[in-house]
Amino acid sequence: MRALCWNGVNDLRVERVPDPTILGPQDAIIKVSLSSVCGSDLHLIGGYVPTMRAGDIIGHEFLGEVVEKGPEVTRLNRGDRVITVSIIGCGKCWHCQHEEFSLCDNSNPQPAFEEAAYGHCTAGIFGYSHAFGGYAGSHAEYIRVPFADTNCFRVPEGVTDEQAVFVSDAVPTGYMAADMGNIKPGDVVAVWGCGGVGQMAMKSAFLMGAERVIGIDRFPDRLRAAQMKAGAETLDYSRVDIYDALLAMTGGRGPDVCIDAVGMEADSGASAIEDLYDRSKQALRLENDRPAVLRQMIQCCRKGGTLSIVGVYGGLIDKFPMGAAMNKALTFRMGQQHGQRYVKRLFEHIEKGDLDPAYLLTHKWALDDAPRGYRMFKEKADDCMRVVFAP
Amino acid sequence: MTRGRDGGRRLEGSAGTLERWAAILGGTALGFAGARRGSWALGALGGGLFLAGAAGVPLSSPLRQAALPAMRREPTTTQANVTIAVPAEKLFRHWRNVRHLAALFPHLDAVEILSDTESRWKAHGPGGVPVVWNSRLDKIRENELITWHTLEGADLPHRGTVLFRPAPGGRGTEVSLTLAYHPPGGVGGNAVSRLFGAAPEQQAREALRRLKRIMEVGELPTIKGQPSGRAERGRVTSKLREVTG
Repeated sequence: MRALCWNGVNDLRVERVPDPTILGPQDAIIKVSLSSVCGSDLHLIGGYVPTMRAGDIIGHEFLGEVVEKGPEVTRLNRGDRVITVSIIGCGKCWHCQHEEFSLCDNSNPQPAFEEAAYGHCTAGIFGYSHAFGGYAGSHAEYIRVPFADTNCFRVPEGVTDEQAVFVSDAVPTGYMAADMGNIKPGDVVAVWGCGGVGQMAMKSAFLMGAERVIGIDRFPDRLRAAQMKAGAETLDYSRVDIYDALLAMTGGRGPDVCIDAVGMEADSGASAIEDLYDRSKQALRLENDRPAVLRQMIQCCRKGGTLSIVGVYGGLIDKFPMGAAMNKALTFRMGQQHGQRYVKRLFEHIEKGDLDPAYLLTHKWALDDAPRGYRMFKEKADDCMRVVFAP
Repeated sequence: MTRGRDGGRRLEGSAGTLERWAAILGGTALGFAGARRGSWALGALGGGLFLAGAAGVPLSSPLRQAALPAMRREPTTTQANVTIAVPAEKLFRHWRNVRHLAALFPHLDAVEILSDTESRWKAHGPGGVPVVWNSRLDKIRENELITWHTLEGADLPHRGTVLFRPAPGGRGTEVSLTLAYHPPGGVGGNAVSRLFGAAPEQQAREALRRLKRIMEVGELPTIKGQPSGRAERGRVTSKLREVTG
């Protein structure tokens, strides 16, 4: 089959590779019909996530058809149209039983990396470096899914392919970001990052009772989409001071809930010195992640408010304003998405018309064009929100 | 899973942790530098260091052992802990049937039951060196504890204890595995100690992890045999170097 392989920093190639096979009794093989780019893939492509190996197939947000299943797969049948949650749960450990699927004890076959770096190992993720299990990703014609009964979900008739594909990752990640914010009616929610996940967090915040949602970005097309599609007010951080603007919009209180949908490669726009400091330390590998958004959220959040973090961080950060966080009594919630917890509810929202993620799909290309697709996505050219590949 | 203690090298404990972290962080930095410059040698060195650090491979202790031959005869004790979401009875029954243990230690070839308390173990060392020992169960408390020791003439003298304790809040069972080795001398002893003695901490942890996965999910998750671009190099359909500047 053909697959998009990572071969080194900024070196992606579509190559001929062997077809996947069933390796465990609970596996299924999915024929991929749509597979989307994701912002977190950019961290891998740029070489910011260690433990990538040349030849790894990337991609983790996908929809397809079950073509083969292991003897212990009972809930799926050949021919089922399914999405697969990007983060793999075993379904049986204590964390999976408590719907904390991204904390699964058993799905990561290479736990040594994370145990050494993080103290414990978390779930395997498709196409997301060897620290997260080294599973082959979805930018391919076929993909093997372990523990298929736990991780694959049949797509209801009334939901289109273009809506369903994002229920793998972008929609549940955004939804979980809002869920972790513990939003109460009347709350003001600020969302840093107006990409796919940020947009879904905004829509979800409204579904959970937020009175006002404020989206922060610098790309005009994303700000426009946040306004037109997600119903948010918007701020362009390259033009205004975010702290002043947010306090002016909230009577000096600050937002009740602040959501980070950006992660480790953030720009702050606030201070050239801060950006220069973080960029040079990251370039020298003296810190893994640039915490510009985190610092800004801590400064802006109302006293006693909640920070919800779904932007991806890999390692250590520097100059974290702990004094502000502690004295303002902020609550931090964070994590990779527990998608399996939300899929059913999300399909219901989509069927009812509360939520339509299909607008995230701005470009649909052949898999052979994947390297070009990633360049467009990274440069955010042609108002690109998400490129989806159809093998 | 908590890290094991290495009793025989207690003095080196904090140095070992430091060494491991230095390997991980240094390896990461080197690996990145290598990837950035497109230098595979540098990248591989960094990756190797990271892996060695991550896997807890002692990088400097072989040197120390060569310098301090007296220390090699001291027993090495290691402990690993894990919580498994099944009742203690089930785990006890599984472990009590020592034939099941072959699946927990990959270097074991066969476990032969000689009597209710005695068994014969066959393993292979590096380069296929055969390693054989007889083992006797000496203390058994139903659903709580099993201890054993190797009999006279074992290629790998050791004693072991596995403890099952109910975890709080319905979390299943806390399992502790303690192994005490006497690194062997004599012909082939070096190879055997390299196999069992160099990273006993890691072996104990791996064994408990396998036990957990077999008992909880009924299989050992793997990526062995999955496709990648490493298998058939050079058959590029579409390529763009410096995709993202």
